[in-house]
Amino acid sequence: MDLLTALVLLAVAAFLAGVAGSYLGIGGGVFLIPFMTLALGLSIKIAIATSLIGVIATSSGAASVYVRDHLTNLRLAMFLEVASTLGAILGAFFGLLVPEFYLYITFGLVVLYAAATMARVRETARQRAYRTGEESPLSKRLGLSSVYFDQEDQGVYRYRVERPVAGFGVSAVAGVFSGLLGIGGGFIKVPAMNMLMRVPMKAAVATSNFMIGVTAAASASIYYSEGLVNPSYGAMVIIGVFTGTYLGSHLMEKAKASNVRFAFALFLAGLGLAMIVRLAFTGVPL
Amino acid sequence: MIGARSGLRLVQDRIATLRRAVVTEVEDRNRLIYHVLRGGVVISVGVLLFGFVLLAATGGEVPDHSIAPRSLIGQLSRFSPDGYLSLGVLVLIFTPVVRVFLSVLSFIDERDSKYALMTAIVLVNLITSLLVLA
Repeated sequence: MDLLTALVLLAVAAFLAGVAGSYLGIGGGVFLIPFMTLALGLSIKIAIATSLIGVIATSSGAASVYVRDHLTNLRLAMFLEVASTLGAILGAFFGLLVPEFYLYITFGLVVLYAAATMARVRETARQRAYRTGEESPLSKRLGLSSVYFDQEDQGVYRYRVERPVAGFGVSAVAGVFSGLLGIGGGFIKVPAMNMLMRVPMKAAVATSNFMIGVTAAASASIYYSEGLVNPSYGAMVIIGVFTGTYLGSHLMEKAKASNVRFAFALFLAGLGLAMIVRLAFTGVPL
Repeated sequence: MIGARSGLRLVQDRIATLRRAVVTEVEDRNRLIYHVLRGGVVISVGVLLFGFVLLAATGGEVPDHSIAPRSLIGQLSRFSPDGYLSLGVLVLIFTPVVRVFLSVLSFIDERDSKYALMTAIVLVNLITSLLVLA
């Protein structure tokens, strides 16, 4: 395949990753990395570096829309970013020392874990509503609980953030994987916020999208300084992703929360299955 | 003499003013973040497109490695396509950093010390990883 064809294919893939990434609250790295290693035959480290650029583009493009339209919980994002940026630094330094085989294995395990956690019940309107009872003292002190505006039914939903400490811990782990694998870590953050912290699905997607850019920026600069960022690939990814987030964020805002959540569960299950099959038949997951 | 009804209206007006102030404050922070994120990507895409135009004009090779920040200025002044493509990528990498920096300022401005501190920690983490660049 000549270079020009590869660049055009990459831009198209980045567009699709941008649509999916902004709809699901993830960076799209889980789509872009396998595409680059399998279809374009790039080395995993170049693919990771390029994917991190795509993650920042997805985050900046989609999050700007979600922040403007009051879907993002900014305080929750700032709180969890403390954990995820620390994790990302550790992950990025660690990642460059680890053999590629272990990168593959880690990636597979992360995907399987997230698939099992998320493919469960669909979100109901009741789950979006405010619950009575004791609010976690930390959530209260930090004012984490919030409201979001749902365009689907024109409703304003007040919600409470539960288990902030556990969410903080999971974000740190998500940050490590982000640095290690060149992904946004959204597929860990969205289930963590939605299922563990009980944040409504659409607010979780928007908040995750907002956070992944910061986490990825920390890792991306390290990969850039290692000379692993190819500016041509980076440019195609940025242009493709940015266009894709226009479509994806619009679709997500209009969608039913239960559909977004169901799409997310499908995405995780598909990802997990694909990895099992590849591991079983070829010994490499990607 | 102020009647009960006009007194009630005064209180209602006062509450409405306060509510508007709160909404505006949140609104301002949201707008600022929106403009920084959107602006960063738009500038990045603009610089990248300019790089591709230069590439087409000079008929050079598509670059396969990034330019280190310290040699970037020289490349830019010579209108090298490689330099502009690298700059576009760097602008994008820096967009979330600028967003975090402005968030620190906005929390300080609101005298929200807890969140100013948290955001400052995030900024320190980011700068730690950016220092590797230098």
